[in-house]
Amino acid sequence: MKWRVIPLEIHDAYENMSIDEALLESIANTGAYPTIRFYRWKPSAVSIGTFQSMEKEVNVGRCRELGIDVIRRITGGGAVYHDFNGEITYSILGPASIFPKGIRESYRFVCDWIIAGLSQLGIKASFAPINDIVVDGKKISGNAQTRKRGVLLQHGTVLYSTDVKTMFSALNVSSEKISDKAIASAEERVTSVSRHSGASLEKLYEALLDGFTEGKDFEFGNLGNEERSRAKELEASVYRTDAWNFSR
Amino acid sequence: MDGFAEQKVPGGKLVGVRLRYGKTIEKVLITGDFFAHPESAVYKIEAALAGMPASATSKELAERISSVAKAEEAELVGVTPEAIADTIKKAMTA
Repeated sequence: MKWRVIPLEIHDAYENMSIDEALLESIANTGAYPTIRFYRWKPSAVSIGTFQSMEKEVNVGRCRELGIDVIRRITGGGAVYHDFNGEITYSILGPASIFPKGIRESYRFVCDWIIAGLSQLGIKASFAPINDIVVDGKKISGNAQTRKRGVLLQHGTVLYSTDVKTMFSALNVSSEKISDKAIASAEERVTSVSRHSGASLEKLYEALLDGFTEGKDFEFGNLGNEERSRAKELEASVYRTDAWNFSR
Repeated sequence: MDGFAEQKVPGGKLVGVRLRYGKTIEKVLITGDFFAHPESAVYKIEAALAGMPASATSKELAERISSVAKAEEAELVGVTPEAIADTIKKAMTA
């Protein structure tokens, strides 16, 4: 089975989430190759899980002041602050039939590729069900999955460095919680590649690329014209709209 | 009346319920960082809860949620019908 790998790209939040859905549709409609893509978010953004309340989870006013985009994902899970300099995001899309049937098992299946990538940097990470990867018990990667029209999409982030203060500004944490103590507590629960390795962000990408592609027949590619145009449609009709982003 | 409650599901995720109700449940919005496959099952559960008597017990609400989840062949991850039902009852007393 051949895979398409879309090398690390930079997009804004609306483009990133539109591309994921356009790829999902493309695989469902045309049998396009299963696809792995890597991307960063510029400007930095907050994404929330599909069932979360935007107003409850996100300090939207503060995000606007800071130039941070806010978006609702099609996947469940929690709110994530995607710091442009602080993480690499991946998406993996393919027919559900090529992944383990069970939800937990399929998370583990893909998370093992991340763990393999991190091990190349000398970082010993492990899977923490349901959807996290941890190092020494601290979260280094969060992941979220959906299955639609026979296609599985899993996307997730690998933290490179953490800017807890901005994260706390962007997320709706009550002011009394934004204390040195709360920040210290968040730093105790979350870790990042830069705390365990001197690797650059570029090196992290190369390691993840190796971890995801090891043993696979793959070729580097990009979006096809139809996928690109569908992504643009989805961006305008869904992902940039308040009707979607503020639907709960 | 409007109500809201939220709780952490033991061993699972966070689930919240925003509720409008009188003698019957008028509108339910289920929020949180849980997963549902397919996601559309959650919207159908919300629709199926509307119209139930506000006096319905947690058990009756959970049964309605379970029956929709089953009909949709849905898998709830990080949340259970019982946790959603319990949060609905909490939202009525909040």
